[in-house]
Amino acid sequence: MGSTGSADPGPATEDPQGPRKSFRAALVSSFTERLAAVGAQCSVVSGEAEAAGALAGILSGAGARRVAGSDAPLVQRLLQPLRDRFQIADLERLSRDDLFACDVGVTTAQWGIAETGTLVLESARERSRLLSLVPPIHVAVLSTRCICGSLGDALDRVRQAASHAITFITGPSRTSDIELTLVVGVHGPQTVHVLLLEDV
Amino acid sequence: MKPALRVSLFVTCLADQLWPAAAVGAVRVLRRVGCDVQFDERQTCCGQPAFNTGYRPEACALARRLIEIFESSGSDAIVSPSGSCTAMLHHYEQLFEDAGWRARARGLAERTHELSSFLVNRLGVEDVGATFAGRLTWHDACHGLRDLKIKDEPRRLLRHVRGAELVELPPPGAETCCGFGGTFSVKYPEISVAILDEKVDAIDRAGVDAVVSGDASCLMQIGGRLSRRGSAVRALHLAEVLASTT
Amino acid sequence: MSFDREARAALADGQLRGALRHATTLFGERRRAAIADVPDWEDARDRARAIKDETLLHLDQFLEQFAANAERAGARVHWARDAAQACDIIAGIAEQRGARSVVKSKSMASEEIRLNAALAARGIAAVETDLGEYIIQLAGEEPSHIVVPAIHKTKGQIAALFAEKLGMEPSDDVTKLAAAARRALRRRFAEADLGVSGVNFAVAETGTILILENEGNARLTTSLPRTHVALMGIEKVIPRFADLEVFLRLLPRSGTGQALTAYQSLLTGTKRQPADEGPEELHIVLLDNGRSRMLASPVTRQTLACIRCGACLNACPVYRQIGGHAYGSVYPGPIGAVLTPQLLGMGESSALPYASSLCGACRDVCPVKIDIPAVLLHLRAQAVARRGSTGTRTLLERLAFASYAAVMARPRLFEWVMRCARRLHLMPPLGAWTKWRDLRPLAPRSFREEWRRGLCDEGAE
Repeated sequence: MGSTGSADPGPATEDPQGPRKSFRAALVSSFTERLAAVGAQCSVVSGEAEAAGALAGILSGAGARRVAGSDAPLVQRLLQPLRDRFQIADLERLSRDDLFACDVGVTTAQWGIAETGTLVLESARERSRLLSLVPPIHVAVLSTRCICGSLGDALDRVRQAASHAITFITGPSRTSDIELTLVVGVHGPQTVHVLLLEDV
Repeated sequence: MKPALRVSLFVTCLADQLWPAAAVGAVRVLRRVGCDVQFDERQTCCGQPAFNTGYRPEACALARRLIEIFESSGSDAIVSPSGSCTAMLHHYEQLFEDAGWRARARGLAERTHELSSFLVNRLGVEDVGATFAGRLTWHDACHGLRDLKIKDEPRRLLRHVRGAELVELPPPGAETCCGFGGTFSVKYPEISVAILDEKVDAIDRAGVDAVVSGDASCLMQIGGRLSRRGSAVRALHLAEVLASTT
Repeated sequence: MSFDREARAALADGQLRGALRHATTLFGERRRAAIADVPDWEDARDRARAIKDETLLHLDQFLEQFAANAERAGARVHWARDAAQACDIIAGIAEQRGARSVVKSKSMASEEIRLNAALAARGIAAVETDLGEYIIQLAGEEPSHIVVPAIHKTKGQIAALFAEKLGMEPSDDVTKLAAAARRALRRRFAEADLGVSGVNFAVAETGTILILENEGNARLTTSLPRTHVALMGIEKVIPRFADLEVFLRLLPRSGTGQALTAYQSLLTGTKRQPADEGPEELHIVLLDNGRSRMLASPVTRQTLACIRCGACLNACPVYRQIGGHAYGSVYPGPIGAVLTPQLLGMGESSALPYASSLCGACRDVCPVKIDIPAVLLHLRAQAVARRGSTGTRTLLERLAFASYAAVMARPRLFEWVMRCARRLHLMPPLGAWTKWRDLRPLAPRSFREEWRRGLCDEGAE
C-alpha cells in the first residue's frame, strides 16, 4: 500500500486516492475469491454499458426465457434493452404462479461482505426478497464501492436502515441432509451470479 | 547439594490394589530424580466413584478425610500416578459450602500433581534415565488431558526413554475416550465396549508392543479388551515404563 | 421407552453405526478445518459465553425489551408457559386465519412441543420443508441429530421412501432425490397460507429475529405465506444487534464446518408498506416449557446458553456409537442428556445423565463453553438425592455406596477387605465387565504391602 505524504522522488504525480484505491482493490479481491469458494459466479464489469452486455450474456448462456427484475432503477435500466430478446417481467405485475415460472431473478445487492463472499439485501432499499429466492438463477448487481470488510461492518450498516427483512446470501442454496453428500440448488437458487460493477 | 524435595505419594485406591506396579514405579522414578518420597498409610480413596455417580455426601466425607491426611504430611508436594484422581482433588472445592473447607480444598489441589506433570513442569525433568525397548503408543486419559491439560508432558518423558519408539495413533486417536468412565463401564457395558473397540482397533493397526497411559482405570479397560481379543499388545502405566532400567 | 433397550438396538444396527461413524468423523474434520481459519477462536468463545451469561442473568428484562421492540415493529408476541399452551396458540392462529396449508422450516422447539401432532389433531396439516425433516416426516420418525435429522438413513432407504410416498422412480442419485423433494415441496410453498419457523437468535435491542439455513426453505416459509409464526425458546434472546456477529462466527463453523450458511434472514416486525414483499402478519411465540426453572442455579443455567450447533453430538464417543434415537428425545447427545431431564423432569429421563463416560470432549467443542460434564454430575447428584425411586437396582447401588463409604473411611478395614478378596479370589459380581473384558488378576501384593515390605526404605539415604 502506498502512503500519502511520503517524499517520493518519482516523476509521477501522487494519487491522493492511492491508499483508498488499494484498500478497495484488496476488498474486491477478497470478495471475488470468497465468492468462488462458496460456489457463486462472478463477472467484473466497468460501467453500466458493460454490465448490460454481461447480463445479456448470462441470460442467454443460461438459456433463460422468463426474467424478472426488481424495482431498483439500475436493474430496470439494465433490463430495458433486453426486452425484445427475453420475456422481462416486473415484480409488481408478477402473479405467484408467474414468479414460480421465472427462470432468472435480477436484483441489486446493497452490500457485499469481503470476508465471507456474502451479498446483503435490505428490504427498505429494494424489493428483492422473492426474486433472489424463487427463480433457480439469481443475478445480483453489486457496486464495488459497497463491499465492506467483515460481518461486523455489514451488521453495522444494515442496522441503520432498519429494514423489516435483511437477507444475507452466501452462494447458492445447498443441502447435505442425505448421507452428508452435498447437493447444490435445493429450495433457493441453484446459481448465484454476481455482476460486480466498478465505477467508471 | 540441593535438599531433596519432600513428596507425599497419593497412591489412589485403584493403583494401590489393582495396579501396584504403577505406584511402585512412581516411587522409584521420583527417588531417582532426587525426591524424598513418603507414603501415608491412612489414605484410601479420593471419593471419585461416589462423586461421579452422584453420591456427594459420601464423596464429601472422603474428601474431608483426604484433605486432613495430606495437610499433616508436611511435604512440599503431593504426587499421584493418576490424572483422574488428581483432577478429582480439583473438584473438592465444589463439595463444600463452608469457606474454610473450600480454602483447604483449594490448598490441597494446588499442591497435588499428576506424575508426568510433576516431573516435567515442576521439576523440569524430561530424562529420568529409563530404558525400555519396544514400540509404544500413548493414550491420553480424559481427565488428565482435559481437566489438567496434560498432553505434551508424557510424550516428552517417553521420548527420552532409551530403546523406546513412540508411535502416535492417527489423530484424534490418542485423545478419544477409552469408554471406561467409572461406573459407566458396568452400567452401560455394551456402549463402553463399543467405544473401547474403536480404540483397540486403532492400537492394533498401530503395530505396537504396548499402549501406555497415565491412568490405571483406562489401562484396565484397554488391557482387559486387548487380552480378550487375543492381542499381544500390553497395557502399561507410564510409571512402569519410566521406572524400567532394562 | 428404555434407554438401555434402545441403545442396545442401535449398537446391533451395523448400518446405523457405519453412518454415524462416517458423519461424526466428517463433521469433526470440517469443524477443525473451519476453526483453524479463525485466529481468535478461543476469544470468540469467551465473548459469546459472556453475552449468554449476561443475558441469562437478566432474561426477563431482555425478553421484555425484545417483545416491546418486536411489537413496535408490527409483530404480535405471545408468551407460552408450556408445550400445550404453545400448540394452542399456534393452532389458534392457524384456525383464525382459516389456514389449511401450513409449511414449516426447521424448528427443534416445534418438535419439542409436538406441534405437528397438535395441529393434525385440529385438522391442520403441516409439511416439513427442511430436506432432512421432510424425510423423517414421510418416514414417521423422530430426528436423530440436531443439524442433520435424517443422518441415520441411507440414500437407499430414502430412495425407497420417496418411491413409496412420492411415486418417484427409485434412484440412488442424491441429486435426483433432492430434486424430487424440491418439486414436491415447491407447490406447497406456493400454496401455503401459514409458515412456521424456528428462531436462532432474537435481538432485544431491535426486536429482530435471525434464522440461519442452507436450503432456502426457511426464507420461503417466512416470506411467501400471508402469516408467519416464529417459535422460539426464551433462551434465544441476546441483548444487542452487534452481538450477532460473534454467534455467526461460531455457529456455522461449529455445526457444519461452514464459514457461513447460505442464508441468514434478519426479520424485524412486518412490512412497512402494503406493496412490500413478505407476510402480512408476524407472530412470535416465546416458549418456556421448563426453561426458566434452569435459571435458578449457575450450574444448570449454562444449559440455556446452547445455540443448537450440534458440535457436541459430533464429538461425543457415546453418541457416535448409538445415535440420536436412543436418547428418546428430540434433543440427543450431550446437550440432550442435560436438557431433556431438565425440561421433562428426571422421572422421565433419569438414565440420560448417566449415559456418559464424562470424557469432556463436548465441553472442548462447545462454542459457548457449556461445561456439560458439570451439569451431568449435578443431575446425577439430584438423581441420588431424590427419595422417590426405590427400584431394586437403585437400592443395590445405594447399599454398595454405603458399604464403599464405610470401608474407605477405615484404612485397616479397606486393607482387610482387599486382602480377603485376594486370598479368596473374590471380586464383586462384575459380569457386566467380564462378559467383554478380561479382569486383570490381582497382584500378589498391593502397593501398601510392598511399601511395608521394603519399598519404604529402598534407596533411602
